[in-house]
Amino acid sequence: MSDRDRRSDGSRSLPDRLEGRLLTLLAVATSATLVVAFYYPVATVLIEAVRVDGGVSLGAFAEILRDPFYFGEAARLFAGESPTAVARDLVSPDRRLGIVGFTAYQAALSTVASVALGLPAAYLLARFEFPGRRTIRSLTIVPFVLPSIMVAVGFVATFGRNGTLNAVLGALGLPAVDLLFTLEAIVIAHAFYNAPLVARVTTAAWESVDAGAVETARSLGAGPVRAFVDVVAPQVYPAVLTGAALTFVFTFGTFPIVLALGGFQLATVEVFVYRLVRDLSYAEAAALAIIELVISLGVLLAYLRYEAQSAVRSRGARPLPRKPLLPSTPTVREWVSRVGLAAYVAVAAVVFLAPIASMILASVTGGDGALTLEHYRFLAARQRTAAAFQVRPWPAIRNSLGFAVGATLLALPMGVVVAVLTTRRYRGRKLVDAAAMAPLAVSGIVVGLGLLRGLVFGVEVAGWRVTASGAVAIVVAHAVAGYPFVVRTVAPGLEALDRSLVESARALGASRARALRDVELPLVWPAVVAGAAFAFAISIGEFTATVVLATGADAYTMPIAIERFIGRRLGPATAMGVVLLVVTGCSFVVIERLGGESRGL
Amino acid sequence: MTDDETTDGRGFPSDTGSDEDGSGDRAGDTEAVGATDRHTRRRVLALGGAAGAAALAGCSAERTNDDEGAGDGAGSDGEGGGAGGDTSEGDDGGDDETPTLTVATYTNFIDAPSVSPGEWLKEEFESRFDATLEWATPDNEINYYVERAQSGVGIDADVYVGFNTEDLVRVDSELDDELFAEAGDIDGAEDVRDGLSFDPFGRAVPFDTGYVSLVYDGTETEAPATFEGLLDPEHAGALIAQNPGSSATGRAFLLHTVNRFGDGPDGTVEGEDGDPDYDYLDYWADLQANDVRVLGSWDDAYTAWSNGEAPMVVSYSTDQVFADMEGANLEEHQIRFVNDQAYATPEGMAVFAETDTPDLAREFMSFMLDPEVQGEIAQRNVAFPATDTATLPDDYAELAQEPADPVTFTYDELRGSVGEWIEAWERQFVGN
Repeated sequence: MSDRDRRSDGSRSLPDRLEGRLLTLLAVATSATLVVAFYYPVATVLIEAVRVDGGVSLGAFAEILRDPFYFGEAARLFAGESPTAVARDLVSPDRRLGIVGFTAYQAALSTVASVALGLPAAYLLARFEFPGRRTIRSLTIVPFVLPSIMVAVGFVATFGRNGTLNAVLGALGLPAVDLLFTLEAIVIAHAFYNAPLVARVTTAAWESVDAGAVETARSLGAGPVRAFVDVVAPQVYPAVLTGAALTFVFTFGTFPIVLALGGFQLATVEVFVYRLVRDLSYAEAAALAIIELVISLGVLLAYLRYEAQSAVRSRGARPLPRKPLLPSTPTVREWVSRVGLAAYVAVAAVVFLAPIASMILASVTGGDGALTLEHYRFLAARQRTAAAFQVRPWPAIRNSLGFAVGATLLALPMGVVVAVLTTRRYRGRKLVDAAAMAPLAVSGIVVGLGLLRGLVFGVEVAGWRVTASGAVAIVVAHAVAGYPFVVRTVAPGLEALDRSLVESARALGASRARALRDVELPLVWPAVVAGAAFAFAISIGEFTATVVLATGADAYTMPIAIERFIGRRLGPATAMGVVLLVVTGCSFVVIERLGGESRGL
Repeated sequence: MTDDETTDGRGFPSDTGSDEDGSGDRAGDTEAVGATDRHTRRRVLALGGAAGAAALAGCSAERTNDDEGAGDGAGSDGEGGGAGGDTSEGDDGGDDETPTLTVATYTNFIDAPSVSPGEWLKEEFESRFDATLEWATPDNEINYYVERAQSGVGIDADVYVGFNTEDLVRVDSELDDELFAEAGDIDGAEDVRDGLSFDPFGRAVPFDTGYVSLVYDGTETEAPATFEGLLDPEHAGALIAQNPGSSATGRAFLLHTVNRFGDGPDGTVEGEDGDPDYDYLDYWADLQANDVRVLGSWDDAYTAWSNGEAPMVVSYSTDQVFADMEGANLEEHQIRFVNDQAYATPEGMAVFAETDTPDLAREFMSFMLDPEVQGEIAQRNVAFPATDTATLPDDYAELAQEPADPVTFTYDELRGSVGEWIEAWERQFVGN
């Protein structure tokens, strides 16, 4: 072999080898990022649960598990009472759920409500064609980014004693409802946040259903209902469960909104984690946070096992044709579904649009109740005259967008590589998957404290203290918080792909990375775009990590600006909230336009 | 304290503003209190070849010093922040430059939508002294410095402004070493009004105070004159309070009820009501039966109250100052001092034991007690001055009302008790 041949041989093989290793490299980088920006920081806090005077003790756990305040009747089980006696009391009407039991109960109710409100939206967005559909689909995610204080303002103005809903009911001659400070108010607020999540994830899955499979079923004699049950539902169902599982985990860890709209009698676990951390009672706080984490991860793990079993093989490629809103053939069935959708839109308007509209209204209402732009003038004045150490609106917008773009670009490869790794076949992969989902399940309060200790204070290595804070650290922390969404939207699609597609590509000489890029990702593209939108949304709405890592006045974001502008008057903060709303709304539209609706094949 | 209080957006324990309040202490171990060595800190920034890349990555590395510990500038507003470590420490800039005093506080002290004293104080201080004042507002407020001390990374500020009795109790029960130094001789300290000084060890010097009272809409109701009046069926569902575990006002109101009704026969506080069989938990059971609302934070409560969910809310006695500023109807912003009392929440400042500019730090504390500065702080923080020599407009007292009989617990009374009071209350109030 001549020298020239060898050289050309080498120059060909290097990129090939790199490409072959690309997935491995990405996996290593992702793991390193997670360890540095999540596992290690969180561990510095959680370790406090067992560290007692230099030794190890499980005393903090034992105390919480046996405490009826936290575990209700179940605490007696942990305290060693007979299960039958406990079971008898559990079915009696005056049973105690305990804080943990109640938190799970309200999370379950919130999950049901979120699915009930999210599914019809997915049906509407995935199966019908109407003007503005794509924009509305893009905007569904907006509630997800709103700071809880804004949601509280919107909800009080909508569902309060003197709120919009009661005004409408009164005008219709109906009795007023007292929704605030009840469990119902909390459940509706949770649905406001999470139904969009269910809708968005389900829409992506529904749009990936291959029309060919449905046509085959129909040509073999299946009716539309049968075709739906046998072909469409199995492909959409896992996405619904994804949304449900994530909703449960989020609402299980809910915090400020519960006390704002419900009140302390409805306090959840996270309320006590917050108070304990604030009182510097770290052992008890960490133990409680670990119990919270174990329950959340348990739910995720159960879901992941189910997801693996229920995967349906598909070659999904050509989407189902969308129906017009006005049926072309006025059959009874066509009309029933339209009337149902109309009823749903009315409910959605009350739950989603009214609180947002109330928030916008509050931003243009003065102290005397008249319409005014003074709060927006306040923002403009702040921009001009604020001292260097004060928060100004424009840098907040700029930082929010910059961090969100960075976090999304980082979260996408992280999420895709974890999705690939967890859809391979090996023992314990669901445990790996659950561990990868941990950023969703760990108490936000613990994450914040961990980032302070692990990154801002840093670690000492050989006489040097290495710390990380500022813009880049924020982007990484946001990516860590957002990447699980990419995994959860992309993994079910990858799992459902027909393995023979990848195998054919590999047999034809494509590297694993190449097969992923050219074959698999195009087939699950709607899921990738949905995941990107979520990663972006998580970054925009993130508060905890940002406020810890923003070392100076120039790294603050829109949620931090909103928080600064809160005062006796709702105006300034709600005006900033509307800015957040508009900026993120536009961003989502752009993301989805960039993502396009094209499919591979 | 400023009344523009906030809580965080998505659930971090930012005590931010709202509750520039304290939290309960955990009954703690005692410790020797005394003067601590003051170290000077030297910091060496990494300037090696990798520094550029490290700064880009948001990382910084500093040589740690065995017995001193070096800090970085986290939470230090106004220094540009961003990537890289900070260079804001007093003596970093070289010997010729003016010294820098880093003053830590809660965010609303320097940045609030209505008024805040931070900007004025910085300009005034810098015009009177040959020094630069830098504000630091870490999100966890005073807990941030407890964390720093416990993590062994040194304290990166010289003075803390804006902590209360419960904060100090908590700090002392967590740390074995002194976080704050004794104040020593501070000009103007002799002018501090009786009953406001709250540190038995002479570290904290009060610079302002607030009073937690009832604020009510006079067009809807007439607030009762006594605690018992709040149990009247006429006031069913009429009061919104805040969670004492997370809100300064909520905590102050709870402490006021402890002061009034005592903490039971086995407790340490004999209630003013003189009935040993009726304690604050009994009162709260009755209050809950009368449908009191306990929301999470001051803004939750104030938002709900402003929207007419209930006619009374637990808030500060300076409410009319804000209402007047906004041109609101003062009839809708009435103050009620229950039993002619209100719970006083004095705010203190202290010099960090580790400061490398102790003299400048003490000059700053004296500056804060200057009559003109006291008047400005009270007006810009919408609170009351700590000294009786403050320069205030004659009509200030018209809108900012002080109770005839301020009530407060001492450091020693709170130490070892406040945590238990709150926990007992939580366990009783939670419905599940």
